[in-house]
Amino acid sequence: MLKYTFRRLLGMIPMLILISIVVFSLAKLMPGDSLSGEIDPLNTNPQYIAEMREKLGYNDPLPVQYFNWVTDFVQGDFGKSTRFKVPVADVIMEKIPNTLFLGVMALLITYILAFIMGMYSGRKPYTIGDNAIAGINYVMLAIPSFVAAVFAIYFFSFHLNWFPFGGSVDILVEDGTFEYWLSRLHHVLLPAIVLGAMSTASYTQFLRNDIIENSRKDFVRTARAKGTPMKKIYNVHILRNSIIPLVTFLGFDFAALIGGAIITETIFTYPGIGQLFLDSVTNKDYPILMALTMLLSFLTLAGNLIADILYGIVDPRIRLD
Amino acid sequence: MASSTTITQQKKPERSLSPWQIARKKFLRNKLAMASTIFIIIVTVISLLAPFLAPYLSPNPDITKVNIGSMNIQPNGEHILGTDKSGRDVLTRLFYGGRVSLLVGFSATLMVITLGTVVGSIAGFFGGAVDSILMRFTDFVLNFPFLVFVIVLNTVLYGIVDGLWVLIMVIGVLSWGGVARLVRSKVLAEKENEYILAALSIGCSPWKVIRKHLLPNVMSTIIVQGTLIFASMIVVESALSYLGFGVPQTTPSWGNMLSSANEPDVLQGKPWIWMPPALVITLTILSINFIGEGLKDALNPKSLR
Repeated sequence: MLKYTFRRLLGMIPMLILISIVVFSLAKLMPGDSLSGEIDPLNTNPQYIAEMREKLGYNDPLPVQYFNWVTDFVQGDFGKSTRFKVPVADVIMEKIPNTLFLGVMALLITYILAFIMGMYSGRKPYTIGDNAIAGINYVMLAIPSFVAAVFAIYFFSFHLNWFPFGGSVDILVEDGTFEYWLSRLHHVLLPAIVLGAMSTASYTQFLRNDIIENSRKDFVRTARAKGTPMKKIYNVHILRNSIIPLVTFLGFDFAALIGGAIITETIFTYPGIGQLFLDSVTNKDYPILMALTMLLSFLTLAGNLIADILYGIVDPRIRLD
Repeated sequence: MASSTTITQQKKPERSLSPWQIARKKFLRNKLAMASTIFIIIVTVISLLAPFLAPYLSPNPDITKVNIGSMNIQPNGEHILGTDKSGRDVLTRLFYGGRVSLLVGFSATLMVITLGTVVGSIAGFFGGAVDSILMRFTDFVLNFPFLVFVIVLNTVLYGIVDGLWVLIMVIGVLSWGGVARLVRSKVLAEKENEYILAALSIGCSPWKVIRKHLLPNVMSTIIVQGTLIFASMIVVESALSYLGFGVPQTTPSWGNMLSSANEPDVLQGKPWIWMPPALVITLTILSINFIGEGLKDALNPKSLR
């Protein structure tokens, strides 16, 4: 297991190098002058601009520029945001907790909903309840997250006034108090539900089908013959087997959550990584853009790796190496 | 005499249905899938005939033109779905938006399916080093966070190529990985069959084997996958347009129309502007998914329905 993990980690390195080359080339291809934020915009003296370009290394050959960028990047120096004039790492670190909070809440909602619905459907397949759940899932799967978000804001925020329609916390509450956390939870709930509902459908159907399939297997018959109560068979024997595919979903969910976060955070004006990313594209804040693209790619890679490793841990029958 | 002819007619061996005919019969019997198909056909026809059907064309032939005289009109007899904040008829834009959204969705799907099938079948059929290289490359593409790279690439290419085709190309180039994997796994299983060996032994070229023998057998999977991808491509287009990184704002598309919901006062007080595109997007995607599921059922020889 350890050996496999180590080998996979090594395998990530060429992938990251390739991605970094792509990100760097893309940033270089971006329209607009990427040093517009570094120099004094009022000083249009061509000599001054040329000096600044020389100083910042923009006249070096591309491979040298790439190498410098990577060296700084690996050492944790992501450069300075051209818009905020502070180190990129600070800007990103400020937003990460918000996105993490949103992501964890969304995952929690996904799991709770999927477990309740999937286990019910799996135990009672082809009943009215199962069909109703399948119908709900179908609609949830079909409604794009941004449409769902717009409708959610319209109904729950504007009409019913249950949730705030933007931001991550009330301005008036004091940092660190109980109300502060309550307000944050209140703000994160609606985007988390929208984000979480996105993947609930696939989890539910997967769990349902797996439970049905497993319930026809020999070990279930044996358990029944021994006189194990049905409840225990479903909750212990079958569930343990059916969780395996779900666990691997967790890793792939990383990628889905990243994409989903960009959309939901923007719609709910929730100050997280996704919103920062879109802002930096619009404002041509290249250092942030490059750092975020690398970070998100790394997370996607890590997610896939975690999925594979979890697969081996949950089901020892699967030989990875 | 008459009776003998009937006997011969009865004895005549009836041709059994071909797999495609069976699939068609199964599909036609699936009510949900058929209703969805009809809906999609209606949407497609309306979109294609938008220049002739659009109700509010004559006074304002340029659909992108701002008309200050008729801003934010609520739905009434003249403007069935009202007008948006620039005084453009919502129903007219909905018709034209369908053109763009369906075009982007369809072209991107075609591109994804073609790229994925080519890469997947070559990797699966030849195996060995070709397989490793192609699949490494596929992993590489799959490992990109899709939305992030679509947005970045779209910004890079914007202005170099016509906006619509940039989007189609970018989406296509970044999302064929899944199809390639699927086709490869199917081809891997299929090429072990003896008829492939037979075809190769009588001297068929590998390309001919792939084209004539392997792909027809993988086709049903590709068709089902293609339908589901079509739905997701429409989502991608409208999501990107909604965020302002998709189809250029001057071109009406469902996503662009929905993006007016970004303004709180439109979202709260003028639902007739953003609700129609939201509903049409949802219904279209739901229908396409139903069609996909129907096809999956119909093309699966094991399903009893």
